[in-house]
Amino acid sequence: MVSATTTARADAPIIETKTWRDSITRPRIFSVFFILIGLWMVLSVTSNYGADADLSGLDVNEAGRVITTLTFNATQSLTIDTVTYATVVGIVFYILGGVVGLLPRPAGELGQRLDRVTKYWLFVNGILFIPTIMIIAAAGNSTNFTVLLQTSMRLATPIVIGALSGIWAERSGVVNIAIEGMMLTGAGVGFVVFTLVAGTVPTSTGLWLGVLAAVLSGGFMAALHAWLSITFRTDQIVSGTVINIMALGLTSFLRRQVLLSSEAGRETLQQIRIPVLADIPILGEIFFNGKPIFYAMFILLIATHIILFYTRWGLRTRAVGENPHAADTLGINVLRNRWINVLISGLIAGLGGAWFSLETNGSFEDGMTSGRGFIGLAAMIFGKWMPFGAFGGGVLFGFSDALGLRFQILNVNIPEQFLQMTPFVVTMVVLAGLVGKATPPKADGIPYEKE
Amino acid sequence: MPRKLVHVVMLLALVLSIVPVAVVSAQGDVSSVCLVTDVGRVNDGTFNQFAFDGMTRAVEDFNLDSTFIETQAPTDYESNIATCINEGFDIIVTVGFTLADATRAAAEANPDRWFIVVDTDFAEPLPNLVGLQFRDDQAGFMAGVLAALMSESGTVAGIYGIAIPPVVRFRHGYEQGVAYANATFGTDVEVLGVYIDDFQAPDRGASAAEQFIGEGADVIFGAGGPTGSGGILRASQEGIKVIGVDQDEYFTTFGGGETPGAENLISSAIKRVDIGVYDMIAAVVNGEGFPENSVHIVEAANQGIDIAPPHDADVPQEVLDILQMIKAQLESGELETGVDPNTAEIVAPPGPPAAVPEATEEVSG
Repeated sequence: MVSATTTARADAPIIETKTWRDSITRPRIFSVFFILIGLWMVLSVTSNYGADADLSGLDVNEAGRVITTLTFNATQSLTIDTVTYATVVGIVFYILGGVVGLLPRPAGELGQRLDRVTKYWLFVNGILFIPTIMIIAAAGNSTNFTVLLQTSMRLATPIVIGALSGIWAERSGVVNIAIEGMMLTGAGVGFVVFTLVAGTVPTSTGLWLGVLAAVLSGGFMAALHAWLSITFRTDQIVSGTVINIMALGLTSFLRRQVLLSSEAGRETLQQIRIPVLADIPILGEIFFNGKPIFYAMFILLIATHIILFYTRWGLRTRAVGENPHAADTLGINVLRNRWINVLISGLIAGLGGAWFSLETNGSFEDGMTSGRGFIGLAAMIFGKWMPFGAFGGGVLFGFSDALGLRFQILNVNIPEQFLQMTPFVVTMVVLAGLVGKATPPKADGIPYEKE
Repeated sequence: MPRKLVHVVMLLALVLSIVPVAVVSAQGDVSSVCLVTDVGRVNDGTFNQFAFDGMTRAVEDFNLDSTFIETQAPTDYESNIATCINEGFDIIVTVGFTLADATRAAAEANPDRWFIVVDTDFAEPLPNLVGLQFRDDQAGFMAGVLAALMSESGTVAGIYGIAIPPVVRFRHGYEQGVAYANATFGTDVEVLGVYIDDFQAPDRGASAAEQFIGEGADVIFGAGGPTGSGGILRASQEGIKVIGVDQDEYFTTFGGGETPGAENLISSAIKRVDIGVYDMIAAVVNGEGFPENSVHIVEAANQGIDIAPPHDADVPQEVLDILQMIKAQLESGELETGVDPNTAEIVAPPGPPAAVPEATEEVSG
């Protein structure tokens, strides 16, 4: 089946027919988007904060124009003339960039160069969107930009870990939709173990034992997934769903049995401030002042990348995920490879679970992972099954979640239900508009059977 | 054939043996009460436990028979209520907004029994049904006054759960409390707030807390189940003063002082579910029956709304005195929060009731 489609694709004759549809390219769609955003920026700031608007209660500068103050820490801040900034950025970057993107391309080198310029221009617009939206939303107020990025990274942590967990399983050809369940198990079991040992060992030891238990329980759930889907060749989606449902019941049972009657305090893992690096302005606070699992995310990210692309094990894993029959012919034990990768996937997911209960909150609530495992899968697809791409996806989701909260804090005049949708809207726009075709490993989701 | 007949006779006997029990209990005095929890247990530190406490106290005071059923899944609500009815209990207490529909259906089918539902109200009254509705806004109001008086930075914040009526009442009460303190006690405090569309996401509550701290807030009120608790827990550990909700969180979230940050919990906005349940059981036992509109309002006036002591936190005596004064004024009706308890919306500025009547007229008329 797999090989048949490949040959068909390769043999297909290349026919070049241009229809009107071909002129709707991704950069052009984005150009239209950016023109609309630019227009909105210019119009909304001039009507809301322009010369004729009612500016009472807003911060203004000596000239009487509305200002936005972006603070970074106790001492550093940046004051921006909101209307001027939004007008200039809106016209120069968004509207002009969009128009250039829509221009018809002359043939030859000039056209190519124009294409390249447009691409970078639109890319810059994408990046610039983050501070710009903050500056407009906080018009006449001050808002803390560092904390926004810091809390984005924090919220991204379980999503990125979930995505990395997914990469390990799927790169070897096993779909793992049970990440959510594995995380929840990790969160529950980890905290239950911490509660049980509390009092007999020092708190920090107890917390680390909890983390260990979380990781192992994630691995245990993964073993179940592997057993069902690799050894018995059950449909991988079915097996994953079973684990998700089971985790809900199991952890809720444990919570009632152990946690309700326990008197343990709600401790969390210690914050670690990395000396010297944490003193770097802004970036230091964001990246070098966090808790252990936050740092573990970066270590896992780099380790996953190196192992997948620079080691023999990684090469074999990818071979098994793309074409297990070929890999088998070359003497790779496909089932063993998949088993080990799925186990690693579960161990990582369990660590992600510990983030919820032991690193962030110091308690366990039923269903407290609230879909972050699934968003992790989306981040993995966003990143096209590449570790750093998945990291980008996770950070984007974390950021949009934080941004939704920040909009509410800033009293942006939109009903909170819409603001709460921010992460999901971002997901849709990004998946549909930016990522394009995401190609999974070819044998992903297909149980391997020796011929 | 004969065997079938035996079955029918047995069944008939069974049915007949139950019916007299029901008839007797309907005629006789009220003597027993049965409690059905929401998913959870009677010692889980939530409404389930408070309602159970209220029932237990009533059972001791009035010498009643009692039992309780711990619901395992939302699909069991109806059958658990039916069990209480079939076992012949006179008063059935169901804990939580989510059991309201099932309880109402049971009340319609069993006019000879009494039904009490915690944390809801009913649009169409039934003589044997009552919903306990809490003046969350009064609790939030006291929290707001406290927050405003304790703030040094001039910014306070609230982290709320899903915007359902009780949560909205808390939020609006809190904001009105801050406004009242600004108008009356000369503070100049700005109040921020976020709704988070999930009661079970403490990590998102924590992230909201971080953002509030970044915006300069130095007192944070958490009113959204575990999400709000997650928020105030993080804030308290960052050295920010926090206010809990529903019960005295010093004993739950902060483990009786065991949890780091407990010294920053300055109070909790309390709703006394136990008092509401007790009062309604008492009303039935004393023969008064339920309020005609099927709603029992639990408020400061009947001791159902309270503000917790500071425990390990450092709150000046004059602030505590002001809080006691506000509580007394809310109790006597001298002071209104300006929040309509039915719509949960702000209808008037906080202050003496003289300013309110017009607005209330309008709503009720």
